Amino acid sequence: MAEAPQEEGGPVRFMKQHIALDYKVHVSPLAARFGEQLRGGQIVGSRCPRCGLVYVPTRAFCPMCTVAMGERDEAPLPDRGTVTSFTILTPIQYHGQKEREDYALASILIDGADGTVGQQRLSDIPLDKIRMGMRVEAVWAPEDERAGDPGDRGYGFGNALRGWRPTGEPDVAADEFAEHVL
Amino acid sequence: MARDVAIVSFAQTPSTHGVTETESQLLFPVIAEAIERSGIPRRDIGFTCSGSADYLAGASFAFVGNLEATGAWPPISESHVEMDGAWALYEAWVRLQHGDVDTALVFSSGISSRGDMREVLCLQNDPYYLMPLWADHVSLAALQARALLDTGKVTEADLAEVAARSRRAATGNPMAQVAGDVTAEAMSAEPYVVAPLRAGDCPPVSDAAAAMVLVAGDRAREVCERPAWIRGIDHRIEPHYPGVRDLTTSRSTRLAAEHVGVGDAPVEVAELSATFSHEELILRDALDLAGDVEVNPSGGALAANPLMVTGLIRIGEAFRQIHEHGRTRTLGHATSGPCLQQNLVCVLEGDR
Ligand SMILES: [Zn+2]
Repeated sequence: MAEAPQEEGGPVRFMKQHIALDYKVHVSPLAARFGEQLRGGQIVGSRCPRCGLVYVPTRAFCPMCTVAMGERDEAPLPDRGTVTSFTILTPIQYHGQKEREDYALASILIDGADGTVGQQRLSDIPLDKIRMGMRVEAVWAPEDERAGDPGDRGYGFGNALRGWRPTGEPDVAADEFAEHVL
Repeated sequence: MARDVAIVSFAQTPSTHGVTETESQLLFPVIAEAIERSGIPRRDIGFTCSGSADYLAGASFAFVGNLEATGAWPPISESHVEMDGAWALYEAWVRLQHGDVDTALVFSSGISSRGDMREVLCLQNDPYYLMPLWADHVSLAALQARALLDTGKVTEADLAEVAARSRRAATGNPMAQVAGDVTAEAMSAEPYVVAPLRAGDCPPVSDAAAAMVLVAGDRAREVCERPAWIRGIDHRIEPHYPGVRDLTTSRSTRLAAEHVGVGDAPVEVAELSATFSHEELILRDALDLAGDVEVNPSGGALAANPLMVTGLIRIGEAFRQIHEHGRTRTLGHATSGPCLQQNLVCVLEGDR
């Protein structure tokens, strides 16, 4: 951003104030186990013992039924799914921004799961060819590069996945994923 | 004429440092426990209000994820305050005054150990004068303590007395974080953190969650053997900039206390959110507490200070004094902002 104009000797109109806060977030035992399984090349979800909904990543409880979930409720899932929604991002060059080119982030409904995983990078396809309903498969990082720390917020796959690329299968009809768009 | 509203259940996690669970994982069993104890089916709860701060979580909209612990499907009527859960309780009490719903769930959570509170709490200061100086909350509290000592009404030994009594009281509270059979002399021998405040005068950094259920009218007596009726609840705010206030008194606490009628009848127990030892002395004075009032039998905020939960726990402890220990009139207090800027006073009564 351009420097705001300020007259020499005139009243102060702008002042710079750089603030940084550091946080140390522990990886919850649940997320640590999920990360360990990712390192081994396996995506795992949780199946609610009451309503049967499958969440990915794993969760400590079903937010619909308020029932606790644990290891016995784990559901191994394939690394394939469907793009249910996507956004093309044009990076603005703010402090810390590393992106330079337009790119796509998508919500992916993994086969067998009931909830999508958001903000997944799409690759191997021109941006103007991406569409809802497109079938995709995970692009895994080489095994020795899977830092595998998905953090404790359960939003994604950390460094284990580079992103998702088209499989070439026919698109899925919209009414088949209409309930799973976000 | 306010509608009669009672606290019928309360649950809290122990206060610890460095929890590995997420906030929603901390809240999940606590909310379940408060609802279970209330005898009110989860689906019958008419209103839900929570208190937390995204600055503690270090993530924007972290409070939305916390709602998962309530089981918010089918959709619930819900609100959030970026404050201590005591203010969520206030909002829930106001909501129950409307008369169309009879039950409310209040919860709050705070994982203070993730960040440096002396940095994070700087951001509550004004952005022009104090924030750029990184005037942290311990240093501001020390200025307040110094001002109080300079009046000649209290001494450093009085501060040490508060610190020691809090730790001794906390030995009987399994939820407390800092407890010990210590003397005021031992507290006086500790090094200064920021003079005149020593380690024992400052609160620990704590992580915890708490939840309570409110019920209006006769239904409270039906579901709870000994509910604690909210006889009065009020909160007042003083100017944001500490330099324009008399830091040796708490006018906002005094005003809130007058409005809820603290002095109308004897108070047996007062749970005060005195997060520094000198604050207890200022609050006792502002509340006009008699000498025989038992202050902070839980150990208070010096024994555990999970930000955003401390005040709700005070009111929860005041509830337990009535519900479990048969007292008839107790007081819970919560504070927010630097140097006791904002204060909430809640008077509870049991049936006689
Ligand atoms: Zn379920």
